[in-house]
Amino acid sequence: MMVFEFTSEGPKGQIPKLIKFSETALKGFFNLAFGDKNLESGDVDDTVVSNNGDSDQVLATVVSAVFAFTDEQKDAWVYATGSSKSRTRLYRMGISKYFEDVKEDFLVFGLRNGEWENFTKEIEYTAFLVRRK
Amino acid sequence: MKTIKELNDKKIPIVRIDNSLEKYKTMPIFQEKVDKANEMLRTVGLPKMAPK
Repeated sequence: MMVFEFTSEGPKGQIPKLIKFSETALKGFFNLAFGDKNLESGDVDDTVVSNNGDSDQVLATVVSAVFAFTDEQKDAWVYATGSSKSRTRLYRMGISKYFEDVKEDFLVFGLRNGEWENFTKEIEYTAFLVRRK
Repeated sequence: MKTIKELNDKKIPIVRIDNSLEKYKTMPIFQEKVDKANEMLRTVGLPKMAPK
């Protein structure tokens, strides 16, 4: 299990965000989730849409966190899905954008019609799974 | 393969240890997503892969 914090910076100000790699029922299989941190309550909301104009940087930071996490947990599976269809599409766009770099180091899978397949750009998936090569 | 040390050796450190984040390890944030991940594991499982 590992937690990262970073700050989104844009027209709406500085928004602290958390990334958490959570253990699941299967050893070595982790769920990746991230969301906005509420400074007052300490809660984290993964449904809020920040619209802070820096989604590219946010996605790049999440990719960096996956690199950092899998440096420590080299055999880990990292699973991610969005909290909504549009958020899942954003994840797909993020993976597609960095796919040429990511595929050098990671096996990347997309979940479609209830089955895992090798990730292909432009195909809609409901979830994603990566593992270091 | 990039390591944390290599990432940190860049001009702007990407990863810095912050012990104040420890509390989030036990806090049940994103639990709904973890439950969904477990459900996916139960129904779909892992990808079929050729042995290394």
